[in-house]
Amino acid sequence: MTGDTSLIAARRDRVLAAMAEREIDVLVLGRQDDANYASGMHRLWTAGTRPFGAGCLVVRETGRTHVLSGWDTGLPPTMTWDDLFPSTWNPRVMAANLAAIPGLTDAKRIGTDEVSPSFRRAAGRLAPDADVVPADDLMAAVRRHKLPAEIDRIRAACAVVWHGVVAAATAGNSPDEPPLTNDQRIGAAVLAMGRLGATIPSSAPIVRQDGADTFIDLGMIVDGYEGGLGALASLRAPIPGNEAPEPPQRLIDSCRPGATGADLAAASEHPGWLVRGVGMGFERPVIDATHGHAETLDADMVVSVRDGNRREIVHITDNGPALLSGRPEEAS
Amino acid sequence: MLTVVTATTDLTLPSPDLARMRGDRLARLQAELVAQDLDGAVLIHGPHVTYATGHIPDAADASHASFRRAVAIVPAEGSPRLHVHGDPGTVVGEVAPALWPELDEDAGALRETILDMIGDPAGKRLAVDSITGAMVRADVLAGADLTDASRVLGPVRLAKTDDEIACIEASQWQAERAMASARDACVPGATRAEVAGAFLAALWAQGAEHNEIDPIFQVMPRTRAGGPRTFNDDVAFPTGIAEAAFETGDLVWVDAGHGYEGYASDYGRTWIVGREPNDAELSCFDRWLTIMDATCAAIRPGATLGDVSQAAIAANGGTRPWLPHFYVGHGVGLESAEMPMAGSDLGEEFDDSFVLAPGMIIVVEPIVWDDGIASYRAEEIVTVTADGHRVLTSAPGYAPFTT
Repeated sequence: MTGDTSLIAARRDRVLAAMAEREIDVLVLGRQDDANYASGMHRLWTAGTRPFGAGCLVVRETGRTHVLSGWDTGLPPTMTWDDLFPSTWNPRVMAANLAAIPGLTDAKRIGTDEVSPSFRRAAGRLAPDADVVPADDLMAAVRRHKLPAEIDRIRAACAVVWHGVVAAATAGNSPDEPPLTNDQRIGAAVLAMGRLGATIPSSAPIVRQDGADTFIDLGMIVDGYEGGLGALASLRAPIPGNEAPEPPQRLIDSCRPGATGADLAAASEHPGWLVRGVGMGFERPVIDATHGHAETLDADMVVSVRDGNRREIVHITDNGPALLSGRPEEAS
Repeated sequence: MLTVVTATTDLTLPSPDLARMRGDRLARLQAELVAQDLDGAVLIHGPHVTYATGHIPDAADASHASFRRAVAIVPAEGSPRLHVHGDPGTVVGEVAPALWPELDEDAGALRETILDMIGDPAGKRLAVDSITGAMVRADVLAGADLTDASRVLGPVRLAKTDDEIACIEASQWQAERAMASARDACVPGATRAEVAGAFLAALWAQGAEHNEIDPIFQVMPRTRAGGPRTFNDDVAFPTGIAEAAFETGDLVWVDAGHGYEGYASDYGRTWIVGREPNDAELSCFDRWLTIMDATCAAIRPGATLGDVSQAAIAANGGTRPWLPHFYVGHGVGLESAEMPMAGSDLGEEFDDSFVLAPGMIIVVEPIVWDDGIASYRAEEIVTVTADGHRVLTSAPGYAPFTT
């Protein structure tokens, strides 16, 4: 289960409100992050894209979330046993399981966060009167502004990542040991973060040489939320807490309510810069040299800000940007 | 026959011919496109892109993998085009700049590349896997007759080439080596995440960068009634949730796998924490070994999946030695569970009509559940050969409940 009851209920209610606004009767969510957001129930993590399938349904009429699970492990207090439907390899069994979900068969509009040709055909049989419409933008809009409890979780995930970065920077630095490979440094980070209970990477970990220094970039999903940090570490003098190398300050300073993507482009200092949403993983907006210049930032968004060899997680507040990326005293 | 041994065998990593493998895969895919009278494929699901081009996406969370998708445009004839974020690796076909199929801003560029490679989708028959909201809003595939790409890639991925099998073997070899570290870490007081961290760190130390699943070290109840509520009144596995520290005597089902050149391993064993197995537990393993041997013996060209399931049932005294929501065996390849599946809820008719052929892979994973005593679950990767089968796993053999 991700988060406490009130957080899960608040997220679900936001989804239901957006469905009402757009007159979507049923949401069929295939993306695990969307399913987790709406239901609070997560499933075994696997890397990479998954083929689209009905992992979670949200029904406007009943206000219920339904999740694909064969057991009640991790069932949040906002759901009951009757809200689950079991996994199957058999499309006919799956169709019958879905048809039993109250509110699906007479839906007029079904929103999906992705779709496949076979799902369109299946939906045509299951809910003959329904239009199947994209709802990825609905989920992105709902997830755009973070609740205070979500900010706390992102900060906590960043703290775990900080420990990983320190482990990668400091592992095997004793002068009488042979130097570690970059992959071995990642291994040290993975081990350290495992001890803190975190084993799910958000992005692929990076450790690479940058002149005499080492660039380390880690991202992890902890309790459903993403934390991250990219830092340049001198292995001769490991990251010394708040004296860490300067963050990409110009770009971070620009992350304030009202700033446009074009403003960020003007503030960026290195090719390959990227500002993108952070929450239950990678989120919109995506703003880089060629995308998102018409976007406008506003308060309570959280973004990952990468420029050059630094990456920080930034909470946009009414007073401007606030770093969530961990520091040792916060990560203890 | 599988053996029970304790000494590790000195094995070397198999070495597939990767260039040949990439060429073979594209040729098979395009031959199937032609055979199904399709004009091309638009692929954005990671394993499909890998099969078509050789590019292996990062082992990242699905949210990252979806936004930073690689896109493969594959005409029925001629070279494919790969749009990729970051390093493409060694690939077949033309490498083009990254596209973001999630973003409305890039829908036009996606349509342009399809027009360029396959032509106007209107009136064409195309295989696609996923369709993003941006692709729907911009009607990128307007007028095309769409079929699921899995209907094309499924059949061609069924029987593996020798190079693909060598990749699976290498993947398993790395996973088995890394599991030694996890076993050492799996002691009373350790948590699931600590043990998983030890496994993942050992993979990285071997240069294995593509973990594909959050490693499972699930403490199993000794009775069915002692476990979570399930739809089939059977055992819940894998739940993906484990918070408590291990205690002496815990029975742990282990299941993990990473990718080597994109090909999954599948390590499944059962461990007991902090003590040696007792005689009752060992007899559970003995039964399991009998079932595993009988099931593997049924795997040969011309046999059906039904034959494999029936061999397992017969060796278990007439009842199914597997969890009803799974199977007694499943394929493995660019995904950790793929066809063929034996004993799934696709049903006996499906199993009896599915004939095994050389190059197919079955991960055999029977379970012995002796309610109130113990359970044993482990997995062996078996490939169908020209005249029988070959076991790709069990490099170190079995020390029951220990390795």
